[in-house]
Amino acid sequence: MKRRPISSDFEREALPHLGALYAAALRMTRNEKDAEDLVQEALLRAYRFFDTFEAGTNCKAWLFRILTNVFCNQYRERERENVVMTEAESSSANLEQFLSGAGADGKETETALLGRMVSADVERALAAVPPDFRLAVVLADLEDFSYKEIAEIMDCPAGTVMSRLYRGRKILQGLLYDYAVEQGIIAPTTAKPALAGSGDAVAPVDLDAYRRKRAVEGERE
Amino acid sequence: MNCAEATATVQAYVDGELDGVDRESVERHLVACSTCSSRVRLQTRFRAAVRAHLHRPEVPFTLRRRVEETLKSQPIAPRRWPAWMSLPRIVPAAAAVFLIVAITGTVRRQHSAVLDQAERTFNNTQMPMDITGSDCGSIASWFRGRLEFPVHAPALGSGATCQGGRLVNVGERPAAYLVYRVSDGHRVTFLVFDPRDLSIESRERRVVNGREMYLGTGPGISTVAYRDRGLGYVVTADYDEDTLTRLLTTSFAR
Repeated sequence: MKRRPISSDFEREALPHLGALYAAALRMTRNEKDAEDLVQEALLRAYRFFDTFEAGTNCKAWLFRILTNVFCNQYRERERENVVMTEAESSSANLEQFLSGAGADGKETETALLGRMVSADVERALAAVPPDFRLAVVLADLEDFSYKEIAEIMDCPAGTVMSRLYRGRKILQGLLYDYAVEQGIIAPTTAKPALAGSGDAVAPVDLDAYRRKRAVEGERE
Repeated sequence: MNCAEATATVQAYVDGELDGVDRESVERHLVACSTCSSRVRLQTRFRAAVRAHLHRPEVPFTLRRRVEETLKSQPIAPRRWPAWMSLPRIVPAAAAVFLIVAITGTVRRQHSAVLDQAERTFNNTQMPMDITGSDCGSIASWFRGRLEFPVHAPALGSGATCQGGRLVNVGERPAAYLVYRVSDGHRVTFLVFDPRDLSIESRERRVVNGREMYLGTGPGISTVAYRDRGLGYVVTADYDEDTLTRLLTTSFAR
């Protein structure tokens, strides 16, 4: 077959994002084979529609939007079957103690507890976060997209981005906390407190949850 | 700002989504409130820790090859202007705010004489050129024998053409001045000079792709100075500094 050169504009603008696209695809599909197919399909689509790419916009964001679209259309249904909705949020008070590495006496230890966890556990925890929340976390925390860019990529209002991000991080923190307890990195608390703000998915920060947290902290003192 | 208000904005603050007044008012509260500042510290730490643990996986060789093969079998995608050719629709809020500040002139960054000279030259649109033409290569070669160093016209992408060149002095030595016109009507100029004994530093330093750049901003224009293979470059354009930096990054990437 006669080979044609790849359009140099596309090569220069789009292909440098291959690594970022693959990393995100892997965390979206949680499977190497699907991630490769997803990236391949997204880049092919991007190539065909490169003339619709609006000059002056962010090429990486545009590619991620296509990636997300392809994912939702082709992989999402399969993905949904595998998802176990995880509502493993622990209380804010425990969590803060966990994250800060504070011991029972409340003093902060030198190493934050998360620092003692291995990457595989963090990866496992992220994989267990439900898809929309996981994607928001990946886009914001690993790819540094702004709320506005994430809103365009995920095709949702910025407020929804904030709540997905908030909730995604909460769930991730809860899972990490559970793993830390499982592995004996931290001691389990006597009773796992009721889920904090399980109904607050809409607002990024639920003031009632905040007051409840303050009340819990008050009781401890 | 009280705790309730601060709580509602902590996430946006940690994510760098607040600017100007909003940011300042959160920061004023944080100084006074240990509860909120500890929330900020935790969230910041959590973000950083997650990031540190989650590595970017290597792109499998098979994928890279598959993508290349597939794209080669496709008809060539239409040529188009690169992304930096016009102001980005998605401008970080902070950059937008800074641009306003720069235009109103309330902030004037101190920078080296070369950056000032580049700004003045850029604004002098009536200055005649020694050589005109749209082919950057022939403009660059016109300087051969007239300067003690070879001039390579930096590549700015398919939408930019050269307009002309002129011999100027930078410091005590002759230097090249190159004028480009970008397809969206913006102008980009380069001073190419021998940077010995000259400072190109300004108060704002950025490192892009391992390259040190110094930024300056005048009314409605931005200037970036950098060194490359022993030569000094000062680039001026009627873009905001982020767009200009991005433009140069694209140019460095090739």
